[in-house]
Amino acid sequence: MAYPVWMDVDTGTDDALAILLAHSLEEIEIVGLSAVSGNTELHHSFRNTRAICALLGGGYPVYAGAPKPLFREPFRAPLVHGSNGLGDVELPLPQKETVHEEAAWDALYQEAKKQGGRLRVIATGPLTNLATAFAKYPDLPGLIHTLLIMGGCVSEGNVTPSAEFNIYADPEAAEAVFLSGPPIVLCPLDVTESLYLTPDDMRRMRDDGGEAAGYAYDILQKPWSFHRSYGHPGAQMHDSCPVLYLVHPELFTGKEAGVYVETKGRLTYGKTVTDLYSDRKFDRKNALVVLEAKTEECIEILIRGIQSI
Amino acid sequence: MYKPGEKSPVILDGDPGHDDAIAWLIARASMMTDKALDIKAVTAVGGNVSLDKTAYNAMRVLTLLGMTEVPLAKGAEHPLMRELMSAPSVHGESGLDGPVLPEPELSLSSLTAVELMAKVLRESDEGVTIVSTGPLTNTAALLLAHPELKEKIRRISLMGGGVSHGNWTPAAEFNILVDPEAADIVFKSGVPILMSGLDVTEKALVLKDDVERIRAIGSKVGDIVWKWLEFFYQYHKKIGYEGAPMHDPCAVMALLHPEIFTVRDYHVEIETAGKYCQGATVADVRDIKKQEPNASVVLGLDREKFVDYLVEAVAAYR
Repeated sequence: MAYPVWMDVDTGTDDALAILLAHSLEEIEIVGLSAVSGNTELHHSFRNTRAICALLGGGYPVYAGAPKPLFREPFRAPLVHGSNGLGDVELPLPQKETVHEEAAWDALYQEAKKQGGRLRVIATGPLTNLATAFAKYPDLPGLIHTLLIMGGCVSEGNVTPSAEFNIYADPEAAEAVFLSGPPIVLCPLDVTESLYLTPDDMRRMRDDGGEAAGYAYDILQKPWSFHRSYGHPGAQMHDSCPVLYLVHPELFTGKEAGVYVETKGRLTYGKTVTDLYSDRKFDRKNALVVLEAKTEECIEILIRGIQSI
Repeated sequence: MYKPGEKSPVILDGDPGHDDAIAWLIARASMMTDKALDIKAVTAVGGNVSLDKTAYNAMRVLTLLGMTEVPLAKGAEHPLMRELMSAPSVHGESGLDGPVLPEPELSLSSLTAVELMAKVLRESDEGVTIVSTGPLTNTAALLLAHPELKEKIRRISLMGGGVSHGNWTPAAEFNILVDPEAADIVFKSGVPILMSGLDVTEKALVLKDDVERIRAIGSKVGDIVWKWLEFFYQYHKKIGYEGAPMHDPCAVMALLHPEIFTVRDYHVEIETAGKYCQGATVADVRDIKKQEPNASVVLGLDREKFVDYLVEAVAAYR
């Protein structure tokens, strides 16, 4: 039986790929998606998520969540994701579309109750929606089987020397989630940066794929040009990491750790602080931190999955 | 920025502590053999244990090492703007538990640590290296009180911090955590910094066999170092290390034998605020903020050569 999966996204070029990948995998049954402000403004991430779902046949309900972080001012990534969040690719919405008015946290809670403890949540944006949901529904963490997060870093950050984008974009929300969370699998930069599509991979994906693969190719050109500009060999597939982990944990290695988020630091604001290598440990191990991937196998699954759509 | 192998007058500033004592022993051994370092003064700071204890330990260590002619001054009792947090679990109640040490055969200078450091700098014709193996309180106080002498400091070689992780908290190493504001002053001072943090010091391990090599030297100093190492080895074994990490000796060894270390230049800043990260040394490894490097950060070493040099230094005392 497939895992029921909720995706909380800030689509987002690599979010788009993660949704396509999740759709393509028979082990996953997407039961709902929610959009959050992050890479781009909420109206873009909400629209982009619906447009990706429309490309996939329009069967998935998409809900809008938080328009801004809990406390801080919004922080976005237009250099990576373009002005519309989708690499400046225009993806059409269907003529007739059911727009869901329900708030992300309410819809997530209803689905979690319906799934009776089986729901997996994949979060690939700032954790504002989840923090809001946990604040409103204290029993929600207990209803989630696993929360898989793309975010944070054990070693270096990518937006500051200490912090990764998704966590930096709403550190207070992330801290709330790590404090109250269900079982967490954290996919930090340490592993997600090892998952990327080279120019050859991208062409191969497009040439042997369908319409979705063609759009995926177009969407990736903006992040690829950004990642290339600082010497990275491909377009980084951060957000596909938790999707791949859910279905193929055997392709990854990780370690249980205490993970908390710095919300008061001057230089370290938004840092995911782990006790993996320190003598002093946190009182509780609240996350499995994924550290390494068998990258070739992961990339093949990603490419084949997107080609199969 | 880091020019290896140069000869230099030095000031040793620390909070002894077993590993401070071994760092000083190595510096003194170099003075006795190839004269690479010329120890002009020693200053004690509150850290691993209280200042009274670290100063008393410093007197005993200098006596043991035959350094009674080197002026020794007491410095800061507590961090610039915090209460002292100490580490008796690592070094024992005295800060230097283990073998019996000779009672002091020298007296403390009438000068404060900062006065003594300033005197050495003023009187030196060449740049002086400060080797700081405790919290950076004394060194920061010197920089605050004597900006005019900054040019006379060739380098600050310090044991502290860590690029990838902490030890006393998940994010911070003990020496920096004790006085983050002092560390911030030092890292912002513009004086070249050679930082030996946990990245290297936790790899500078003395293993069981190495402890035996020290024991086999069979001298008075050798026996005491052997017992210190045994004490340190047992403590660290209990908390999961395969050997005794020679934290403070790295700050001296990196000056004397740079060829056995891996060093990278980074811009490093100190976190002085935060819920979890106070005292973290934040290194901009990816050069995100496009700032000039202010520190040469030691990241790795040839452990076996390090141990060989350590054994050689201990054997210099007969």
